Amino acid sequence: MTTVDGRHEIDREAERLAYKPPEVRHDKQGDMGSEERINKAMHHFVKNFNSQTASYLDGCLHCGMCADACHFHVRTDDPRYTPIWKIELFKRTYKRQVGPFAFFYRLFGLKRQVTIEDLEEWQHLLYDSCTVCGRCSLVCPMGIDIAGLVSMARHGMFKAGLIPHELHEVAKRAAETGSPLGITPDKFEDRLEWMADEHDVEIPLNVEQADVLAVMSSIEIQKYPESMAATAKILNAAGESWTFRTDGFEATNFGMLSGNPEWQKEATMKLIDAAIKIGAKLVVLPECGHAYMAMRWMGANMYGKPLPFKVMHISEYMADALNTGKIKVKKLDKSLTYHDPCQVSRRGGATQAARDVIKHLGVDFREMEFGGDYNWCCGGGGGVVTITRADPLRHRVFKLKMDQVEATEADELVSSCANCRQSFDDSQQHFGWDYTMGSLMEMVAENLEERKS
Amino acid sequence: MKRTPTVGEVLQAKGVSRRGFLKYCATTASILALPPSMIPRIAEAIENARRPSVIWLSFQECTGCTESLTRSASPTVEGLIFDAISLDYHHTLQAAAGDQAEAARHAAMEENDGGYLVLVDGSIPLGNPGFSTIAGISNVDMLKETVAGAAAVVSIGSCAAFGGIPGADPNPTGAVSVGELVTDKPVINVPGCPPIPMVMTAVLTQFLTFGTLPELDKLGRPLAFYGKTIHDRCYRRPFYEQGKFAESFDDKGAKAGWCLFKLGCKGPMTYNACATTKWNSGTSFPIESGHPCLGCSEPGFWDLGGFYEPLSTGNFDSGEKLAGAAVAGVALGVAAAAAGRRRQAKFTKEG
Amino acid sequence: MDLLEFARGPALQVAAYILVAGTIWRLVGIILLKEKPEFSEPRARGGLGAALKVIYTRSFTADPFKPATLYPKILAYVMHIGLFMVVFLFVPHIMFFEGFLGFDWPGLPNSIIFFGGVAAIVSGFALLVRRLTHPVLRLISNFDDYFSWFITMLPLATGLLIPVRLGVRYETLLAIHIITVAALLIWLPFGKLGHTFLVFVTRGTTGMVFERRGAKT
Repeated sequence: MTTVDGRHEIDREAERLAYKPPEVRHDKQGDMGSEERINKAMHHFVKNFNSQTASYLDGCLHCGMCADACHFHVRTDDPRYTPIWKIELFKRTYKRQVGPFAFFYRLFGLKRQVTIEDLEEWQHLLYDSCTVCGRCSLVCPMGIDIAGLVSMARHGMFKAGLIPHELHEVAKRAAETGSPLGITPDKFEDRLEWMADEHDVEIPLNVEQADVLAVMSSIEIQKYPESMAATAKILNAAGESWTFRTDGFEATNFGMLSGNPEWQKEATMKLIDAAIKIGAKLVVLPECGHAYMAMRWMGANMYGKPLPFKVMHISEYMADALNTGKIKVKKLDKSLTYHDPCQVSRRGGATQAARDVIKHLGVDFREMEFGGDYNWCCGGGGGVVTITRADPLRHRVFKLKMDQVEATEADELVSSCANCRQSFDDSQQHFGWDYTMGSLMEMVAENLEERKS
Repeated sequence: MKRTPTVGEVLQAKGVSRRGFLKYCATTASILALPPSMIPRIAEAIENARRPSVIWLSFQECTGCTESLTRSASPTVEGLIFDAISLDYHHTLQAAAGDQAEAARHAAMEENDGGYLVLVDGSIPLGNPGFSTIAGISNVDMLKETVAGAAAVVSIGSCAAFGGIPGADPNPTGAVSVGELVTDKPVINVPGCPPIPMVMTAVLTQFLTFGTLPELDKLGRPLAFYGKTIHDRCYRRPFYEQGKFAESFDDKGAKAGWCLFKLGCKGPMTYNACATTKWNSGTSFPIESGHPCLGCSEPGFWDLGGFYEPLSTGNFDSGEKLAGAAVAGVALGVAAAAAGRRRQAKFTKEG
Repeated sequence: MDLLEFARGPALQVAAYILVAGTIWRLVGIILLKEKPEFSEPRARGGLGAALKVIYTRSFTADPFKPATLYPKILAYVMHIGLFMVVFLFVPHIMFFEGFLGFDWPGLPNSIIFFGGVAAIVSGFALLVRRLTHPVLRLISNFDDYFSWFITMLPLATGLLIPVRLGVRYETLLAIHIITVAALLIWLPFGKLGHTFLVFVTRGTTGMVFERRGAKT
């Protein structure tokens, strides 16, 4: 269990001031002493220092441009949210331990050793205020992939037992039960049956051999179960030989988000093993952002060799199917705007896919300002949406999205990531906003046209 | 003591008109940057000056300084001024030789003890006194002996002033300048290879007129002639500023009279009067003739890197040392990376 | 040996050795760390072409980021361009390079160079003021940032002083200028001025990684 370490004791005798800074919560896991935590953090920072990382950490100019790209900084003007500052401890450790001049850094104390207070403060910077959206990586004049460095830095934080409480709990549950929301294979099967019934759609499960393995995210299974039906409709309409598998259905990867590479690998291997078992040629990932990053770009590295199957995000699959005529959709008469999931568009390279799909839908598509590769993040990715103490910050940041969407004056808003959807839903409730985010996949599923064979 | 005629008497005897004489005084006043009101004083001083005794010592020299001095195109008054001094000892110009010449030197020293001028050209070898001797006497001994009773010493030319060509790398004779050996008498350096004739005589004239030494710079050179660089007075300077340079000796730039910086001109760091006073009675000077300034009035100008190497070229060592630095860099880099990897392995094992 | 001889000789020589050794040390020390294996299926080759492309394109800010970063970007460009002009297009400097490269190239008139140098210094000061007053930069800046600024501005200032003279001897000013250049060359490989060679590595790496993914670079 995580313990909460409150830093500001309430002094009942003190004179009341007009403003009291909010109590800061430093979450801790385990009962390691400070020394051990510091060592663990340092060791697991160091594990990440390869030649690529090293060049990035050595190349920063302290120009501060990354701050201007980050939604957390832009909406708060808090200099601590400067992206490169978020990895300051990571950078310091690199220079002291593994950099070309590390010996001299240590000898002359050119950079301070990381302290427990540093790590506690940086928990907030690395988790609460970073969605690993990658805008900073695009603006950096040196081309430093700052977002990638944040993901790596989280490894040290996790092993030091210094990650936000809720994120830890959710990741732990995912490691123990296979799903961050505790959805067991039985539960998954149940909900599949329910959807198959409700939507009158054939949903293959645990087929022995299939060309395509479909997977879902727990958020969809639990909160947006229509996604399962929609996936089935689309794959069926395309005439795919496909299946869901109870031994490999969870696309989310909270090991990756929380910073535990072992849990990350476990989750990824489950899907890979299932795909191999059924001889799949393609794994279709659901509407989830980080799932795409976890499998499409990091999956093979977890596996240790090239994957024996292709990997596609559902938006890519739909684009491909629509472009090749495998499926057809009705033309819709409405105006639409699209929110880009950071891990699929900017970080994942599949920006165009959603737009191809939208084109086929025949809507009046209104690209929001910066739509596409430079779009603003929803503010909830990277695990941020799970951290309750980050809610005020996340809501502050969300205003950027609201302004963007409203400026398009579009009838509807869709995206292709359930976590973005969750983040939008939560903020919509918070602000009483009149836009509800929809799912691109569901929009396609609802408007499939019969294929004239 | 034999009564020597005054300068005025000598000039009169030579048939120099009063007008011509005053014209010379005016020119002298001008180049010494003195006001016209000084002209009568100069005239009076020279007229009434007793011809001072001047002993000219020639050591490791090429005689170029003497050639320059005597290379007046026509019998100008500069040439005549040498009749206004009693040149009691000069290897090239004297009629006497051997013991007779040395006797004349000693006589002049004794008769004018404390009042004679010693002019020196050529450097003095210290490596082995035998490298340069006159009448069996080493240069260093003759210098010591002669300056003992001198009023002042003038180092004529860059060899005497700074060591010159004998003193250039590797300086096989151990050549040194006069200034390095004479420390108890006033020493004026009149460098140049050779110095401009007018500069030499003007310095003497100053001494004759005022009995004082001109204002000197840090290197002991008269500020009046060595106070400004060639670069700052060069007529081709506008081309330098505009970026118009001759790239070779007969290209269009050279023909058009463009700046010679790229061809090695040392003008920017050379202090002399060449660009204003010029040579051959104001005819021209090296740059005007199309050749870059050698920097001949500066110490060590032979070792500045090359007459045709531009001034801003670095004085680099061998390329081997640089290659060595590269190898060192690789070694250090490999060591650092190895240490980094080792630390990583250690931390990974510790978990 | 006088100051100028020292400056043009041993000072520059030692600076050259340290520059070469330090640069190679840093690069080799980084490149020889363990490599990150990549097994994912690429969307594009992401090879040298991608690296070169991003080395070039990252010099320009993407439109969405332009408004917020315009001011420091302009200052930095003026500073770099002014510095480039002064170092590489001033004829005496070109002659310096010719001394060991063996070839030269055309330069610009001195008045234009002087203007470039002044522009570089002015923008340099504006950047310093920004670093000292902007909340983000105040937080993230360290000794390296300020010292690198100083050691870069110094040769610029001493170089501009030479035509201005202020009554000091030319050789003295030249010697001081060359010594400040030597100091810059000595510091260059070790602090953030190392970006002169690291920029190719960082931009190139990102170019390759993200082009391979078919993602925006």
